[in-house]
Amino acid sequence: MADAAASADKSIQVKLVLLGEAAVGKSSVVLRFVSNEFQANKEPTIGAAFLTQKCRLEDRVLRYEIWDTAGQERFHSLAPMYYRNAQAAVVVYDVTKAASLDKAKSWVKELQRQANPHIVIALAGNKVDLVNNAAASSSSTTEETSEDEPDDATATPAELAQAASGDGLRAVARDEAQAYATEAGLLFFETSAKTGEGIVELFTEIAKKIPIEHILASTRGGGANRPGGAASGSNAQGNVNLDANNQTPKNACNC
Amino acid sequence: MATISTQLRTLLKEPSKEELTRIFFALDGQPAPGEPALGDKVDISAVVSIQGMDDSSYAGRLYIIGPYLTFASLDRKSVRFTLPLCTVRRVERLNSRTGAFALSLLLWHGIKLILQLTSLRPTADAFCARLRDALKIQLQLGNMRSMKTFVKSCYSESLVASASSTVANEREDGSLLSADGQSYLGGLGLKYKFPGDPKKLREASKTKLWAQYLREHGRNLTLLRYPQCTRLVQVGLPNRLRGEIWETLSGSLYLRFNNPGLYERILKENDGKTSTSTEEIEKDLQRSLPEYSAYQSEEGIDTLRRVLTAYSWRNPELGYCQAMNILAAAILIYMSEEQAFWLLEVLCVRLLPGYYSPSMYGTLLDQRVFEALVHRCLPMIHDHFQEVDVQLSVASLPWFLSLFINSMPMIFAFRIVDCFFCMGPKVLFQVGLAILKINGDALLNIQDDGQFINLMREYFASLDQSAHPHSTDSRARAITRFQELLLVAFREFSVITDEMIHNERRRFRGEIIHGIESFSKRAAVRNLKTFRRFKKDQIGLIYDVLFKAICVAPPPPSVNPPVTSGSEHERPETRIDLKTFRVFLSEIATWARDDAIVSNGFQERVDRTIPEHELVDRLFFFWDTSCRGALSFQDLVNGLDGIMFGDLMSSIEWFFTLHDKDKDGYLTRDEVLTVSESLLFIFRYELGDAYLGAVSRFMTNAFEYGDALQQDSEKTAEPEGNQSHNKPYLNLATFRMVVLADELLEEFFEQDLRESFRLQTVEIEDVSHVGQPTGFLGLGGLLSTIVTEDNKKIFNRFTDEIGKTIGKHQVMHRPSIGRMDRKVALEEPKARESLLPPSSSAPRLNVTLPGRSPSPAGSVKEKDQQSLLSAPSPLTPVPASPVVNPLKFAVLERTPFAIDEARDDGETDDDDDISIVGREDDAEVMDEVDAFLEAHDSGLSEADKAIAADLQTATPLR
Repeated sequence: MADAAASADKSIQVKLVLLGEAAVGKSSVVLRFVSNEFQANKEPTIGAAFLTQKCRLEDRVLRYEIWDTAGQERFHSLAPMYYRNAQAAVVVYDVTKAASLDKAKSWVKELQRQANPHIVIALAGNKVDLVNNAAASSSSTTEETSEDEPDDATATPAELAQAASGDGLRAVARDEAQAYATEAGLLFFETSAKTGEGIVELFTEIAKKIPIEHILASTRGGGANRPGGAASGSNAQGNVNLDANNQTPKNACNC
Repeated sequence: MATISTQLRTLLKEPSKEELTRIFFALDGQPAPGEPALGDKVDISAVVSIQGMDDSSYAGRLYIIGPYLTFASLDRKSVRFTLPLCTVRRVERLNSRTGAFALSLLLWHGIKLILQLTSLRPTADAFCARLRDALKIQLQLGNMRSMKTFVKSCYSESLVASASSTVANEREDGSLLSADGQSYLGGLGLKYKFPGDPKKLREASKTKLWAQYLREHGRNLTLLRYPQCTRLVQVGLPNRLRGEIWETLSGSLYLRFNNPGLYERILKENDGKTSTSTEEIEKDLQRSLPEYSAYQSEEGIDTLRRVLTAYSWRNPELGYCQAMNILAAAILIYMSEEQAFWLLEVLCVRLLPGYYSPSMYGTLLDQRVFEALVHRCLPMIHDHFQEVDVQLSVASLPWFLSLFINSMPMIFAFRIVDCFFCMGPKVLFQVGLAILKINGDALLNIQDDGQFINLMREYFASLDQSAHPHSTDSRARAITRFQELLLVAFREFSVITDEMIHNERRRFRGEIIHGIESFSKRAAVRNLKTFRRFKKDQIGLIYDVLFKAICVAPPPPSVNPPVTSGSEHERPETRIDLKTFRVFLSEIATWARDDAIVSNGFQERVDRTIPEHELVDRLFFFWDTSCRGALSFQDLVNGLDGIMFGDLMSSIEWFFTLHDKDKDGYLTRDEVLTVSESLLFIFRYELGDAYLGAVSRFMTNAFEYGDALQQDSEKTAEPEGNQSHNKPYLNLATFRMVVLADELLEEFFEQDLRESFRLQTVEIEDVSHVGQPTGFLGLGGLLSTIVTEDNKKIFNRFTDEIGKTIGKHQVMHRPSIGRMDRKVALEEPKARESLLPPSSSAPRLNVTLPGRSPSPAGSVKEKDQQSLLSAPSPLTPVPASPVVNPLKFAVLERTPFAIDEARDDGETDDDDDISIVGREDDAEVMDEVDAFLEAHDSGLSEADKAIAADLQTATPLR
């Protein structure tokens, strides 16, 4: 709906899809990004949930249209419906579960072969709070875990024991995932939907990498063919949606 | 990394006519031991009336199906019942003045049913005899006793027994103040309250109307469904009765009745066990309707866990699918665990077939059907969606998968679920179409998926608002958007029938199977670690052969490995055993099959059999590099790569290594013999003696050289044991020398061995046209039945016999290499194809849809779908079938909404005052009921009615 006439200073629409094994926290990542909340109990996604969020990048405003897909294996065959025409994808795995990275790799492979050829793919290792807590002090929940290299695979034995008592044992080394991401040409972040760590960065870096001019050109081309009445109607519709979305905290993405 | 399933081909079979009848009467499963099977069926034309009730006579068809007596009125919707025979207390022949043949049945709940058998006398007599026998069995089994205790578990018994509609121990919404003296089953709502405002829902009035209906028309096991029943369901079930009516209408009641204690037993037997499913269930427990208070408590979560887990053990192939948790959580508000367990079974198996299966084929199929219905009924919306490339399924898939519970506010979703259990799966399509139609104008303005989703979300959030907020008529203002939705769904889309959905499913079945199969093919190909030296299309061919082999000889089911908590488990992967491998290899290696070319004067055909030989087994274990006793797709690719790109030297080495069991670089004497046997096996059908000679020369040379070498080494090594057959004997260099000594063998290893492995396109029979009931197909069906495998064999045997008697019968084996008879034409005789009657390959649809020339099965195969759902329906409009055309007009001619008529029903307007509970409110509820009132045709003429009326007063025959 980014219309040719209005798009210069209006938002640019970016379709983004989230993929990954069940319960790695895809929905939580989106929820953190869109409304800066963390809900422990999320309804599982049936098919896919749809959310939107604006994101400022220099002088442009991007409007993410996020498709948060169901993670269960049997929903796999439905995924193409959601990732077709997507300009960006976030493939999520759980840093405490090695198998989830394998699944992520197979998603990346599928995207690279089946999806839009210009798709920007980011790999996100979620639930890093579980391993951060184990590495640092397990009591501090509000602690700011900044961007210093949190290579937590080298925790002391005592801390490891602490971690083992909970779920907090890192199963995927940061370096390993980073190496894979570099090799496959992906953006890579470790994130925590719970603390918010890495979430904004994730979406900001994707925004930077998206070939905006390319999208603008293509929507312009598409918009020209559309009847004017329909387009203006849709614009009004779009604004309503944006308003609904803007009730959420603005600090989610102020890049 | 993937599973390859051929199950679809059996699962997506066309239901037979018998099965359709059982589906219609909501009968599932196997009857208890001693009971007659459900396949045991007899039927007769009949007129059914309830004694003492006017206008209760309906003509229709009466069946005895196993231990049930069932009836459906002629229009298949006005009146129907499914009575377990054990609820029949007494049967009497009636003495009719008009001479009609009639029976009176006294049912357990005191209802007297009059059955007038309108068929010819001998048929009626035979039917009576069957009924008598069936009732006798019930008596012998003593089912009446268990029935008596069973009905006590139903709330309707307490409701009807108590004089007033509300019991002292109840809150207004139907939940219990205390659980004392509760003899019946109920859901979490009894304790945690039911969702919705009981006043707004008019609980008291609805309960009263139901109490009356259940008193007059029987209840639970004896419920007779008259038009009033459907209408009461359409205005929404009262909370307290909802669970029971759901299980009665859906038929899960019969499963619970027939399988007492099974639910508890399953739980007990699997106590403490885990599986992939239980792990997946655990992840979702905390997020199933978390807004409902029971699911914020341990009790509610445990209840949900037990039901889902028990079902995953009950149906391990299905296991657990996300969305089932939503359904289970929803129905558990209104019914007990055991009731919910059986309702879940009916949902997964009969009402939503294949929706939750691992491939979710049912979901995909119904989405395709829904898209086709939108194309027919709402062509403008369909065209617009195509134009802006919006996929219907992005919104509609969750509607179907979670019965709207995840999409709408719960109280509205439950009302749709009420109708769904009462009227069947077509309700989902009708409501879906109505949603689109009501939002038609807005939908024509959307430009992408996102806007579509948002529009739907806003619409669902506004369902409680007035549909006509600006109307001057207060009655019109009082109609909510939800009521409007139901009216549009059931009036304007009453054209959507079960039969139509059935036909549409049949139409798209092949497409969906192909889509899923090609999707899993792409995934399997993509997930290979390496293609080796093969090209992608060659890999595809290997996959196809593997797939066919799995179809022909299914490997043992790949069981989900038990999960040890915390550790990663392997994703299930399809591996084939030796049995399947033989079929696989026979499709690729010319020497791994016996092709007998049979000619008998009538036809020439190839009979293929698969020989068992040590060489094939040897190859299997040779390729099984990880020693699992089973081969994966990757193993097969690696294995074939080892030979299909070989030159002379590497082929010799390959063959040598294949026979060198201990891989020490030496063949033993025994292994040299095995090599010769293998070669003879490969050459078994070659013409002439040349190969036999080559192999015997090979043996002579091998032993000669071998012995010579052995003597050399013996001089330096140990003196003993040179006669042993298991000692290292012949090394690769010597083996090579021996092979190269023979021109024919050299040729064989240079080229023929490699070329005996051929990747060719395989034909996989399209099941969507197999096994269709002949009843629907007429002549085409009759012909196509000839093509079944069995009949083909019979036909072949028959022609062979004739061929033998006239001396034309001839069998010739096709050689594997064929170097000796290159001149002999090896073309595959066309006999096999010529057996197919021309009509069987072209689908039946062509008859009704002229202009759609390519067969769907064929055209689908050619189309490489990018995704199962993204495949837009063909751009060329589907030629309207004769059935569709009038239908479309019917939709177009209607007034936009049928509300106007509802307004004319002529009650005074006290709608705003909904707090009045009493006669007026009852009338109002019934008003709403009347909005759904359709003409119910009893199928009786005036004279018929007179006879039926006469029977009301008839006395039993002595």
